[in-house]
Amino acid sequence: MESAALIIVLVIALALFFDFTNGFHDTANAMATPIATGALKPKVAVLLAASLNLVGAFLSTEVAKTISGGMIREDQLSPDIFPPIIFAGLIGAITWNMLTWLLGLPSSSSHALFGGLIGATLVGVGASAIDAGVVMSKVILPALIAPLTAGIIAFAVTKIAYGITRRHDMKADGRDGFRWGQIFTSSLVALAHGTNDAQKTMGVITLALIAVGWQSTSNPDPQLWVVFACALTIALGTYMGGWRIIRTLGKGLTDVKPAQGFSAETSTAATILASSALGFALSTTQVASGSVIGSGLGRRGSTVRWNTVGRIMIGWVLTLPAAGAVGAAAALIVVWLGGWGVAVDAVIAVAIILGLFLRSRRDSVTSANAMSEVADSGAAVKVPRKPEPTRRQRRLEREKAGKGA
Amino acid sequence: MLINWEAFLHVFLAAILGASIVVTFYALGLRLLVRGGRPPLVSPAEFTDAITVLTDKQKRRAEKAVAKAAKKNPLSEGQKRLSLVAAFLCFAVCAAAVLGALLLILFNH
Repeated sequence: MESAALIIVLVIALALFFDFTNGFHDTANAMATPIATGALKPKVAVLLAASLNLVGAFLSTEVAKTISGGMIREDQLSPDIFPPIIFAGLIGAITWNMLTWLLGLPSSSSHALFGGLIGATLVGVGASAIDAGVVMSKVILPALIAPLTAGIIAFAVTKIAYGITRRHDMKADGRDGFRWGQIFTSSLVALAHGTNDAQKTMGVITLALIAVGWQSTSNPDPQLWVVFACALTIALGTYMGGWRIIRTLGKGLTDVKPAQGFSAETSTAATILASSALGFALSTTQVASGSVIGSGLGRRGSTVRWNTVGRIMIGWVLTLPAAGAVGAAAALIVVWLGGWGVAVDAVIAVAIILGLFLRSRRDSVTSANAMSEVADSGAAVKVPRKPEPTRRQRRLEREKAGKGA
Repeated sequence: MLINWEAFLHVFLAAILGASIVVTFYALGLRLLVRGGRPPLVSPAEFTDAITVLTDKQKRRAEKAVAKAAKKNPLSEGQKRLSLVAAFLCFAVCAAAVLGALLLILFNH
């Protein structure tokens, strides 16, 4: 019993650390654009993102329920083996998350978590412990569909934003006003991030509590202290992560205009909030990237840089199996060595985290490792500085030339 | 394996509806602000640069251009006022749409 309690404490600590890295990793998704466009002062932006992540974490617990009450079949698991398996899965997730963050590789904190948990459960217990239907319908399919959905919506609303504000007489079009709008939409993205990402850690902690019988299987809702702890941790991570963005301000975002940024952020927030309400656990990074690409394509004369898109997609595809492999390796140690395996895993995890942290301190902060993958997505679409004139502009030019002659 | 495809359709429809309302009304609000003689800031002839934050001198020049454009506005004072009221109404619709969506999530929860 004492060893179970110790493992649960370790699981909760590691889950909260994952929550912290999640906030740290994803601050840029919400706040990079408004800081870069001058819509918000960096300190205000980061504080706003942290506060709204906190609020968002309390809005809905549907995503937490997906993780705690569906993905893994608790009835197939013994209370002795399951907490160490969750522990191993978390090690896989955190290791992959920190490694990709350090290397500036496109990745998703959420898929790292799912990959780690699934990989560890497969090795530690077997395929029967995983509900393939829930994994497919609430994790894998949303992962594939959500960025596409966000991209299509961003494309459509960017067309709307540019169409409504277009002036054919080249007078003031008021598009600078989208900078004000970005304060509002980026806040919504931060809120949406809280409704989806903080929930995942709540789900993992609840899953661990259910596994040892400290919470009933019939009630997969996270307990209030779990909600508070996760909300505060993700907010703290968001606040701490933001400072790295400030140091790289202006270097990462290449060509996102206020109207485009506004449209992309609206699409991101709408997609995540609608998904959270239905319990789909998605990757906010992927949704935000899909929106940035979609909104870039919504601008006149834009073309896709398929090389960049391909690099981003490879990162996405790799995350689940890579985190799964690390989680599986950690679970294998637990299976071989039992209780000692957890201790070995803990030591390895601390060593990896410390090593990566120290390595990150040595490097100077550049756009490659501090700005989000969403910034990369901005480079995935090539937009000409002077796009082809619209049909109406061509007609006006012809009329002007006719008058001149 | 039972997959609820309808749920994906719901997410898509809810998200596109919400995003379209917010962007359409916000853009319309900006357009009406311009019509009412109060453009938020005059953008350069080309696209505004996302990274370049305007210097004070550029801002003053932009404000002067706004004032000049406002003087040339062919609309009457009443029409301008109406445009401004309509613009703020559009912004209010945006805020109401977001608030409604959040309340819906809270209510469902």
